[in-house]
Amino acid sequence: MTISKRMKQSCLLLAVAFAFGPALLPAQSLEEKVTAHTLKNGLTVLFAERHGAPVFSTLYGFKVGSVDEYPGVTGTAHLFEHMAFKGTPKIGTKDYEKEKVLMDKIAQVGREWSVELAKGDRGDQEKIARLRDELTKLEQEQKAFVVKDEIDLVYSNAGGTGLNAGTGTDQTMYIISLPANQFELFCLMESERIRNTVLREFYIERSVIQEERKQTTDAVPTRLLNEMFMGAAFIAHPYNHPVVGWASDINSVTLEEAQAFKQKYYTPNNCVLAIVGDIYPEKAIPLVEKYFGEIPRGEDPPLFRTVEPKQLGERRVRFEFDAEPQLQMGFHKPTFPSREDAAASVLAYILTTGRTSRIYKDLIQDKQLAVSVFAGSSPGVRYPNLFTFNAVPRYPHTLEEVEKAILDHVEKVKAEPVSERELQKVKNNIDASYIRSMSSNFGIASTLVRYQLLFGNWKLFLKYRDLINSVTAADIMDFAKTTLTQENRTVAYLVKKAKAS
Amino acid sequence: MKRAKVQIYAAFAVALLVLVLPVLGQRHPRELSSPPPLSFKMPKPVMFTLGNGIRVAYLQDTELPLVWVLGYFRGGSLYEPTAKAGLAQLTATVLRTGGTKTRPGDRINEELEFIAATVEAMGGSEFMTTIGSALKKDFAKLMEVYADLVMNPAFPQDKLELARNQSLEGMRRRWDQPFQVSNMLFQERLYGADSPYGRRAKPATLQAIGREDLAAFHKRFFSPTNLMLGVAGDVPVDEVKAVLNRVFKGWAKSKVDLPEPAPLTERADGTIYYAYKDTPQANMYLGHLGVRRNGPDQYKLDVLNNIFGSGGFTARLMKELRSNRGLTYGVYGGINAGRDRGAFMVGSQLKAAQFTEALGLIKGIIQDLQTNLVTDEEIETAKNSIINSFVFNFEQKNQIMAQVMTLKLQGFADNYFDTYIDNIRRVTKQDVLEAAKKYMDPAKMIVTVVGDEKKFDKPLSSLGKVKEIDLKALIEAERGPQK
Repeated sequence: MTISKRMKQSCLLLAVAFAFGPALLPAQSLEEKVTAHTLKNGLTVLFAERHGAPVFSTLYGFKVGSVDEYPGVTGTAHLFEHMAFKGTPKIGTKDYEKEKVLMDKIAQVGREWSVELAKGDRGDQEKIARLRDELTKLEQEQKAFVVKDEIDLVYSNAGGTGLNAGTGTDQTMYIISLPANQFELFCLMESERIRNTVLREFYIERSVIQEERKQTTDAVPTRLLNEMFMGAAFIAHPYNHPVVGWASDINSVTLEEAQAFKQKYYTPNNCVLAIVGDIYPEKAIPLVEKYFGEIPRGEDPPLFRTVEPKQLGERRVRFEFDAEPQLQMGFHKPTFPSREDAAASVLAYILTTGRTSRIYKDLIQDKQLAVSVFAGSSPGVRYPNLFTFNAVPRYPHTLEEVEKAILDHVEKVKAEPVSERELQKVKNNIDASYIRSMSSNFGIASTLVRYQLLFGNWKLFLKYRDLINSVTAADIMDFAKTTLTQENRTVAYLVKKAKAS
Repeated sequence: MKRAKVQIYAAFAVALLVLVLPVLGQRHPRELSSPPPLSFKMPKPVMFTLGNGIRVAYLQDTELPLVWVLGYFRGGSLYEPTAKAGLAQLTATVLRTGGTKTRPGDRINEELEFIAATVEAMGGSEFMTTIGSALKKDFAKLMEVYADLVMNPAFPQDKLELARNQSLEGMRRRWDQPFQVSNMLFQERLYGADSPYGRRAKPATLQAIGREDLAAFHKRFFSPTNLMLGVAGDVPVDEVKAVLNRVFKGWAKSKVDLPEPAPLTERADGTIYYAYKDTPQANMYLGHLGVRRNGPDQYKLDVLNNIFGSGGFTARLMKELRSNRGLTYGVYGGINAGRDRGAFMVGSQLKAAQFTEALGLIKGIIQDLQTNLVTDEEIETAKNSIINSFVFNFEQKNQIMAQVMTLKLQGFADNYFDTYIDNIRRVTKQDVLEAAKKYMDPAKMIVTVVGDEKKFDKPLSSLGKVKEIDLKALIEAERGPQK
């Protein structure tokens, strides 16, 4: 899963916690630890008590991601996520009344500037430069009123760690961990951020995101390959564009567009909050009610319509870049909770996870055609997704050789049932991974939020276990025969640029 | 088409904006009274020594049916010959994948993966690190495999070739990402290409390594008296002792010689190293040598670093370069401690069209820290942040165990954690100023930048002495003739 984050340094384990489902023992014990509470405005709050160190982690998510964007405003979910750190009319300012006058001017000049930028080569370059200068001047004036990154400042003083956020295809998540005596501070700060965010310093942050795109995609071969691949694999469904957005859209999206996006999706009824650690729900719930209860319920998010049409034949993409070659390949498939998705999870493990997996043993260890091959589900889980392979060949072996060798393994799965021992190994490992994810407050919080937010019920993590445990060799064979076919396949190659440094 | 869409949508958005602002019921955290203080006692690992000299740190954790093992052997890439750079990492990899005299590596893979247990080994600069984890019911099995691997590795030729081939492919690909390239160039120029601290494994040095080198490297450092082993998890101490005594039985002590590498000398002389690569940003590192760890000014440096560049968005570098100017997605800086000198460094991927402007801002921040006292608010925030978040060092039991082991091995006092908060509390603005003067020297800093100078706001030559690095030639020389 692709995630764009506010800060690169922090670790975000959302994908990991989700990819490895639950286990019998701790799953049951987790169920006993969870207290669920729904506010009148629709906000679902999930508590899990762990009274070890006097700390707690919180994670809350809105069911909105890049999949909810459309051409022209790609990257807006992520852009708004950055803006949610800029404060409120009370937090982040010395004098909001005076600052507001400047912000209104900034909004106006920024809009004109963005409209001109969106014309591309046909834009009036002189006008662009003039508006840019005007904007810079206004931004300088605004600084006199700004309390720089006050959300960071407040949490740093309180001993907070890991303040960050991440946007994916399916959801936007916000995280912070605090010492246990700072629970009310958390309630105040986060309810304010959800309700009263001010898009302060918007056009400076837009510039940060331009650099983020260059740093995390344009200069990173694997990410660029993923972008080319998804663009080909989905022709209609919005899983086809990158979370961070296309450069042209990031360069010209306006403050008003970001605000409108927030208005549609940042409602308590579209949000799930998990609080895990040294917290007692009976004491915490009144504070949650006091602060988060004031947020007005919003409209339901807009209807999602687009369904990816059935793929009618193989698609191939090839592009040149100043890097050594690699490939990505994928097949359309149903998402969780379906038997096909469970079979895909188990098959991915059998093929490429660990030194005893089939493809590792054959392609990496014995034939040494490749240095890494990884199978999984991508790019999101809210809608039908893809069973994907990413592979890195070993020189002088070619992408074609590696592709063929992977497909030989796919054919083998169609022809012969996988062994019982392989199935049992995968189930043992998925169980153990789940237990390991229970060893951190953050790991537990992310599991709870993802199931509740994306599938409507946190207890569905138990369903994941049931589905995985019920997968048979016949299911895997069926999945391979019906899904891993040539006509359902998209393959993307990154090849080394002929003349490159 | 696009323009029309933008305008219509923008007009709609303005209408929404008017409806929703201003909002009532806004709050500021200053309304809250300060919370009651936290009381917390860090659980301390039990330390004991086995008959053959292995020092063990043990911490019980009954929350989940799991167990973790961590073993540090002194020894690492600091002790490998320059002509065989990469030996420490290859030894570690093949120690694991090659198996033992009685347990072939592939069989270990099957046995461990079926029970969802892991054992891995890594070669660092001064420690060979081994880790393991399993469900608690498999603790004895885990330790049998672990002990056999560290005592009796077989280092078979085929697994050496596999590990070497994998590393060689990694070396082909390490030029693909410009920020990583900038870092390689920086480390090499900071410490010296032949220094144990700065040399880099290359295809030729990997090719020079044979099975006998791995066996000799293992023999030299993998001795019971040179191992500190940690166990954390849901296994009682008596069982841990019994299992460890059994699996390590008969492991003979040997004397391990750990000569101090030649001391580092400052080589930084203000040179700017530029390497062309067709990439959108300016990928930059800058700095000079840092400090020896566990030194007299460590607490002052912790506070200075927090204010300068390690404190996230409250640090000056991030505040100015990202939040105020939008010149980068991230910037880190600090005076880091190392076994000998560590590095004073700043790293960032910067907007190419404002690269020299950004560089000027970074130098300005450094000079200001050396000239003026930091503000009251800055030092308060830095100290509060360090002190109040201290408890997060002890969130998980295996993490506590690892921290305690690392501190012991690196020569920190036993009461380091107990006195840490008070030591931070004592740091003053004057201390921060003095530390900045003592440990930062902008005139000496070298800069490595990978990118396309044509995209920069000013030529690099306007900033000082520039040496150009031909990446293409460097890569070709490193790879040698290709098939």
